[in-house]
Amino acid sequence: MIEFTLNGKKVQTDAASDTPLVWVIRDEFGLKGTKFGCGVAMCGACTVHIDGNAIRSCSYPVSLAKGKNVNTIESLNNEHPLQSAWVEEQVPQCGYCQSGQIMQAATLLDRNPNPSDQDIVNHMSANYCRCMAYARIKKAIKRAATSSVQYFDPNASSEGENA
Amino acid sequence: MSMKNISQEKKDMINLSRRSFMVGSMKTSLFMAFGAAAIPSLLSAKESIETKQFSPNIWFEMDTDGNVIVNIAKAEMGQHIGTPIARILADELECDWDKVSIVHVDTDPKWGYMVTGGSWSIFHTYKPMSQAGAAGRMVLIDAGAKLLGVPANSCKAEKGFVISGNKKISYGDIVANGNVDKTFSADELAELPIKPGKKRHLIGVNADYKALDIPPKTNGTAVYGIDVEVENMLYARPILPPTRYGSAVTNVDDSKAKSLPGYKGYKVLTDPSGTIEGWVTVLATDYPTAIKAVDMVKVSYNAGKTANVSEADIQKEGERIVRDRKEGTVFVDEGNIELAQSKAAQTIEALYTTATANHFQLEPLNAIAEFKGGKWHIHTGNQWQSLTLPTVAKAAEVPESDVILHQYYLGGGFGRRLYGDWIVPALLTAKAAGQPVKLVFMRPDDTLFDQPRSASTSLFNASFDENNQFLGMEHALAAGWPTLKMAPGFLAPGVSGEGKVDMFSASGADHWYTMSHHRARAVNNKVAQDTFTPGWLRSVGQGWIVWGLESFIDEVAMKANKDPVDFRLAMLDGKGKQGGKAPESVGGATRLANTLDILKKKTANVKLGADEGIGYSVSAGQERTMPAWLATAAHVHVNKRTGKITVKKLWVVSDAGIVIHPDGAIAQLEGSLLWGLSLALFEHNEVKNGQVSKTNLHTYLPLRMNDVPEMDIELVESEEFPVGLGEPGVIGVAPAIGNAVYQAIGVRLRHLPMLAQHVTAALKA
Ligand code: FES
Ligand code: FES
Repeated sequence: MIEFTLNGKKVQTDAASDTPLVWVIRDEFGLKGTKFGCGVAMCGACTVHIDGNAIRSCSYPVSLAKGKNVNTIESLNNEHPLQSAWVEEQVPQCGYCQSGQIMQAATLLDRNPNPSDQDIVNHMSANYCRCMAYARIKKAIKRAATSSVQYFDPNASSEGENA
Repeated sequence: MSMKNISQEKKDMINLSRRSFMVGSMKTSLFMAFGAAAIPSLLSAKESIETKQFSPNIWFEMDTDGNVIVNIAKAEMGQHIGTPIARILADELECDWDKVSIVHVDTDPKWGYMVTGGSWSIFHTYKPMSQAGAAGRMVLIDAGAKLLGVPANSCKAEKGFVISGNKKISYGDIVANGNVDKTFSADELAELPIKPGKKRHLIGVNADYKALDIPPKTNGTAVYGIDVEVENMLYARPILPPTRYGSAVTNVDDSKAKSLPGYKGYKVLTDPSGTIEGWVTVLATDYPTAIKAVDMVKVSYNAGKTANVSEADIQKEGERIVRDRKEGTVFVDEGNIELAQSKAAQTIEALYTTATANHFQLEPLNAIAEFKGGKWHIHTGNQWQSLTLPTVAKAAEVPESDVILHQYYLGGGFGRRLYGDWIVPALLTAKAAGQPVKLVFMRPDDTLFDQPRSASTSLFNASFDENNQFLGMEHALAAGWPTLKMAPGFLAPGVSGEGKVDMFSASGADHWYTMSHHRARAVNNKVAQDTFTPGWLRSVGQGWIVWGLESFIDEVAMKANKDPVDFRLAMLDGKGKQGGKAPESVGGATRLANTLDILKKKTANVKLGADEGIGYSVSAGQERTMPAWLATAAHVHVNKRTGKITVKKLWVVSDAGIVIHPDGAIAQLEGSLLWGLSLALFEHNEVKNGQVSKTNLHTYLPLRMNDVPEMDIELVESEEFPVGLGEPGVIGVAPAIGNAVYQAIGVRLRHLPMLAQHVTAALKA
């Protein structure tokens, strides 16, 4: 039995300890906003926050989540400035990568509210978008950065560097 | 429907305007629907709607608050297709845009022909949707005038109201109080005038609006096929055989997997549809267990005969058949190329090749199959239901009417989700298990079962007189043909009426340049064809064909001592067959010349550093019957020491007729330019031992954000018929880059992708 906090709620799972967290989140707890793309930490579709860090949940065994705070796209409650910026800039095409893109970008703004173009590229280049909506992802991050002095923090106790 | 009548069905689809149109009030709603071409005369519009005597792939409902729901049977895979279709309608209907929403309907044979691909959607729906909107408006005006007690000709419709002088009534009130029952015959509908582009207020280059499907894609609520669950289902993962065709399972040993909690055994699949051979699927109560179990189950095979095929074998066969004039089908034969060649003082020849490339749509293939209420219910995102359904029915051994495809958002299509072959193993597993099954492909499974863009081989030969004047060109092109495998009913006859050609592997070679002598011959590469299912990959044949063509045109220009842009402009004179046709290609080559001319001016003053160059190309994708006129330019830098090509900027000037959704068009162009760049410089997956050699994203390396260049996209304002823009942006990028590399360092690259090692090797040679 593994216990952790998922979007603010304590949860328990009987999944085998090596089960990738993404399936526990999606299939056991029914939060389908987190996506599965490659399974080898090379696309970022499965990105969630663990204690405030952006983590590839496809390559993160559930046992490591024990006692930690896991937050998914659903935890942003549609209130994160990135989400409105994503709509303003009309970022998503198929949309499949976008939960991961937003979760990845959120940890950038968390630590660096005014990222340069290069900061954005450095932080986002491991996130794959097959629709190649990259130009708009970048624009939307800039928009969110400049439009909000105060930004939504999904995890008040966030600490540490990006994974 | 059977394969036989696919072309008829396709024609019917294109001819939505050959359908009748019904408007009727029912309960508290007003329904508007396309009906059969011939109206069953005994039924009124109301009765036909009530008894569902219509076979629309698009229909609309309006409620008493004036809310309009547009039901759409098109796959949503990133192109936001519902929104522009609804805009076209709303523009003529004069309803309030804020009250419009779209619903993607489940798919069922009764909705008629269903396909989303080839960038056809806008092209095929523009006129009928406009006329449907106009018909709806007329009916609402008539009914509104009656309720207002004024003559209909004193009324106009605006933003959801019928207005006569200072009297007005809302559409919602008309629906609540009016009695509407009107049918337009196919002829009446076809004659309804539609607004010219200038009069449109909801569409056009200056229309600024947002796509309705975007918000759910920013908060995790959009539902993709992979997100679906049904009661009592098992999870499954496939074990793929060593070859795409002809492998047979000889033994399965799952003794190791048995200890896994949740493991539910395996199935060896027998497929009555012949889609898959030698497949095993592994079942479990949860997907992670299925993932693990696959690695613990040992399957032995008699491998199919392509088990040793390599990329080099495919290329060798390609070169053989492009050089053999007896092979393949001639589909363009202007002038007399043989005569031109015999009179030529000089010739140049070049062989262009491209590597196998994959879709890598981000959502891996998946499907749920469930037998319920006497029917097979399939849950998956699919682009071409009407092509897929017969195969699924065959696999299930049931009539087509007993299969229902439920539609979801597609996590990327790009052509991979046209033919839904992945549904077959899901269905067969569910059938064998006697229980609903959700089959999910892990990424390597997905890649091995991809329908890759075939490796290709193109041979060009140009003739010149003694003054270096260009006389004519012979072009032979070979690849695996997607259409031959998946939709043979769509093969076209050759120019002499003999032979067959897959136009999806030939379009682009039938270009818009005026050449006195020009022959093009397409050949199917059987080694490729036997080894995998060749796929339609975004921009399809044009993506590799025009890469060769537009690179070679530069070579011809150089030989003729002409500036490559001016050389093109001179050949894009719009004479003869290049003058275009109404409605879809009015203006012909002159519109292409116009885009290139604009681009030439735009790029005239670009400063080039050392080892930098600008290259150009033109394209008219997807087909001659639906050309989006594009001129593309690339500014590159080449590092001569490492061979690295860096694209600093891409320009495109696009004339696609009336642009329905400008921001959507720009998004599609941004994405497709980057696809073009990714295929030009990064993506290749060579076949080795009968299968593609790279199965996941740590070895297959599409473009990421750090390689995105600056992009300059210009949409030409046009009053002409709108054509699709979802794919054509891909086409011109690779040749523009190749031509730019030549300008920069004098090296001609003739293989895609253009890798650093090709540059350094060419510099050494
Ligand atoms: S699915 Fe986790 S990084 Fe791709
Ligand atoms: S929007 Fe489709 S993968 Fe990014």
